[in-house]
Amino acid sequence: MSALGDAEAARRGKTGGLSLSAAAPWLIAIVLLAGLPFVFTGGAALTVMNQMAITIIFALAYNMLLGQGGMLSFGHAVYMGLGGFFCVHLMNMVEYDGLLLPLPLLPLFGGLFGLLFAFIIGSFSTRRAGTVFAMISLGVGELIASLSIIVVAFFGGEEGVSGDRTMGPVVAGFDFASQKEVYYLTAAWLFVSALAMFLYSRTPVGRIANAVRDNEERAEFLGYSQRYVRWISFCASGFFAGIAGGLFAINFEILTEENLNLATSGSILLITFLGGVGFFLGPVIGAVVFTLLQTVLSLYTEIWALYVGLLFVLTVMFFPSGLAGVFAIHVRPWQLGKIGLLASPYLKMFVPALLFVFSAAAVLEILFHARHAAIGEEQMSLFGLTFNSHGVWPLTIAIIICVASYLILKRLAPSLKEAWDEANHGEVGR
Amino acid sequence: MSGAAIELKALRKNFGLAQIIRGVDLAIAGGERHAIIGPNGAGKSTLFNLITGKYHPTSGSVHLNGTDVSRLKPHEINRMGLSRSFQITNIFPKMSVFENIRCGLLYTMGYKYSFWHLVDRQPKLTERAEEILEQINLSDRRNLLAGVLTYAEQRALEIGITIAGGADIVMLDEPTAGMSASETDYIVDLIRQVTDGKTLVIVEHDMGVVFNLADRISVLVYGEIIESDTPENVRASQKVQEAYLGAAEEADH
Amino acid sequence: MSLLAVNLLDGLVTGLLLFMLCSGLTLIFSMMGVLNFAHASFYMLGAYFAYQISTYVGFWPGLIIAPLAVGLAGAAIERYGLRRVHQYGHVPELIFTFGLALLIEELVQFFWGKSHMAYYEPEILNFTAFSIAGNSFPAYKVFMIFVAIGIFLVLLYILTRTRIGLIIQAALSYPNTVQNLGHNVPLVFMGVFGVGTAMAGLAGVIAGPVLGTFPGMAVLLGSIVFVTIVIGGLGSLWGALIASLLIGWMQTFAASYNVTMTDILLAIGIDKPVDLSDNPLRDLWTLTLPQIGPILPYLLMVLVLVIRPRGLLGKRET
Repeated sequence: MSALGDAEAARRGKTGGLSLSAAAPWLIAIVLLAGLPFVFTGGAALTVMNQMAITIIFALAYNMLLGQGGMLSFGHAVYMGLGGFFCVHLMNMVEYDGLLLPLPLLPLFGGLFGLLFAFIIGSFSTRRAGTVFAMISLGVGELIASLSIIVVAFFGGEEGVSGDRTMGPVVAGFDFASQKEVYYLTAAWLFVSALAMFLYSRTPVGRIANAVRDNEERAEFLGYSQRYVRWISFCASGFFAGIAGGLFAINFEILTEENLNLATSGSILLITFLGGVGFFLGPVIGAVVFTLLQTVLSLYTEIWALYVGLLFVLTVMFFPSGLAGVFAIHVRPWQLGKIGLLASPYLKMFVPALLFVFSAAAVLEILFHARHAAIGEEQMSLFGLTFNSHGVWPLTIAIIICVASYLILKRLAPSLKEAWDEANHGEVGR
Repeated sequence: MSGAAIELKALRKNFGLAQIIRGVDLAIAGGERHAIIGPNGAGKSTLFNLITGKYHPTSGSVHLNGTDVSRLKPHEINRMGLSRSFQITNIFPKMSVFENIRCGLLYTMGYKYSFWHLVDRQPKLTERAEEILEQINLSDRRNLLAGVLTYAEQRALEIGITIAGGADIVMLDEPTAGMSASETDYIVDLIRQVTDGKTLVIVEHDMGVVFNLADRISVLVYGEIIESDTPENVRASQKVQEAYLGAAEEADH
Repeated sequence: MSLLAVNLLDGLVTGLLLFMLCSGLTLIFSMMGVLNFAHASFYMLGAYFAYQISTYVGFWPGLIIAPLAVGLAGAAIERYGLRRVHQYGHVPELIFTFGLALLIEELVQFFWGKSHMAYYEPEILNFTAFSIAGNSFPAYKVFMIFVAIGIFLVLLYILTRTRIGLIIQAALSYPNTVQNLGHNVPLVFMGVFGVGTAMAGLAGVIAGPVLGTFPGMAVLLGSIVFVTIVIGGLGSLWGALIASLLIGWMQTFAASYNVTMTDILLAIGIDKPVDLSDNPLRDLWTLTLPQIGPILPYLLMVLVLVIRPRGLLGKRET
């Protein structure tokens, strides 16, 4: 949490009220969530938004471990998956055994199931932090994912387990058959979960989790057992992951081994890190961007996963604070009133940067098409142009533009650096 | 206070075959200001870590206010009323100065592992944190990230975190390391103020600080205490002079 | 009895292959403190490079060239990627190598597509070396054993008889001291990373024809490699060897003896229920040894980490 947030928070603590600037982001969120279906209409858009919402909750839960607790887990998908499987079974019990469970309450049970397993596994996995923790999480994750093929009774084997969300008791006129109703249910859970996770970070155990992350030895001399703090963080994270799992079950009505495996655990790590682990909004940004890349970009290119991989590696290398971090470094110039200094270099570099990215992508697309397209299929279309991927000219032109724009960017880089130094120079008034 | 606040009985610590602490007997009374000095490699840090629970003794025992704490974990020892600072500044650099102090208060003010209180809405917590900030003169640095403070300010913050929990026994590990003369004076005054009435154990190299602050001094050489007495007697002691000179001669070879 | 012998040999092949991967990983971890999540990806690159070379000049040149190419790639990645990320801490380092694994998998698919590559063992090794009571053992696998043992001996020689080897051994236990003694640590790092990845590449070159050359091959082996070095003890080469052989034999034996849980439970006197179709424990009854074979390493790893985080022979905890 930023130092500014502290001052604000302390002032609130003294007066006891809820200041507008603290509540504002949440009010905006409510308006946004409620209004989105009217801006982006259609079934496809709703599906994407639902997916985004579920991923956001999962990413925020994951960040309770990684960003807040400093614990890197390679097996977190199991808590979401287990919560999801439990919920599908509950849905089936509602349908076949007459269990009276209204659908809106389902994610809560997913969360409780995830919490249960986080409690059990955390009892031995959180004894140590660092690499040992990461390795245990990997082992446990793979263990449970492998078990899922064998324990057919619970995991349904290769086909997974499916259910029907519309079979439950009708709640206030909703039977949740339509995507829109599911969206609002998901959005409501998203809001409640995000708020809960945010408030958790402002509780004593949430603050001490940060302390243990930064300096476990020191935290012990604040009276806290680092082991128990980690265990509690782990349980909390498992709970919210389970909620995400429950929402997944409601949305897609099927859970499979894929929900538990290393690929899913890996992607949530990627998403959270991409967004930025040091900021509460980081995972939100990461989830939104990734879902867009996954759903929208995949419509335009076959090698979207390569782009995501490249983006991820470049982020780790050059922007370890993630996308949120990229926004955050603009805060100080803004406070100093010098943000305008950056406008000119940014504008100058905007066009070359766009050219560079698109031409590099073009090079990759042309190469890919030339190599992997069906025999005889020589024409490809890109950015509205159609041309022969095997020809000399398209590739050559793309390479030339790429190199040229890179050189221009390199030329302009020093002036950007200068502007940055200038924009950061000075003291923010206290 | 009657009865020793800290008592070490026949304390030994080996790392593999290396004997680092070779039989230390020491009693530090409640309210006393005690300094531990000695040449490099004498084992001061190890002794410190034995008392604070980072290491367990190979043999012998450590007692706090009469209770044997030899096998306890650091956080358990802390809950018994002992707090320590660290040689390499151990603050929380990504949190604000205010937040650092507040973290030091959470357990002792009863919040423990609560997730049903919001720290920003606890007026008593905020007040107490502000008080301590006042004491260490960092009130005007309140909202800065602890990582951007000057070195001396960070050491002051560290002392603040150490005493925040209200521990009766305060252990400081080279609190003035790397400081200029004026910074040192400032920190010594600060230490004297905030540890008024508490038991203070301080490991130090700066003799000026030691003689200024301590009621009694123990001299640790090669894992044994060769002298434990008032500052004047220690200064005059033949044994101590030989040990320091002797150690200096060794280092010359 | 003959099945036992075949399994022993098969397990030996798997174990030695695993050791080729683990030894490189252990070296890298011990020297640099980095757990290279992408290690199995270099194994994959080795197989693909060797395949590509084999389409031009056959199998044998690939045996030398491919590992070299992989090692150079590894050294370059260390120099320009890992070194940069190192300053941010251990967690970003792990995340970087993880991202690298993803990227390499995508790149492999970009260049070679998603299907299995036609990478086969060389003709002159394509015969049966011997058979034990009807179970034939291919000559290529004998070749694999020899290559792996050869590498192990070379490694042993370098580590115990050469100067650089002694430095590496020292760094295995006391990395900071080695740095303070003035050795050009960045160069050594680059070298160790290069050699470690080259070994992984070599493992890929010889394993490709047997285990298949396809984009998923890294993921398949990746987690097992980690499990193995954790069990063996991070930082211990002997531990890696013992653990590799253990896992190799465990997997092989589990896969070939079709013992079912039913047999075991009946043997200890528990009766099998007549109708299992709705019994929630039905999976337990139908459980077979080959089924749980893949799980055993993970189970073992979790047990080891809980009971003895140092691993079997590990010198230091992380």
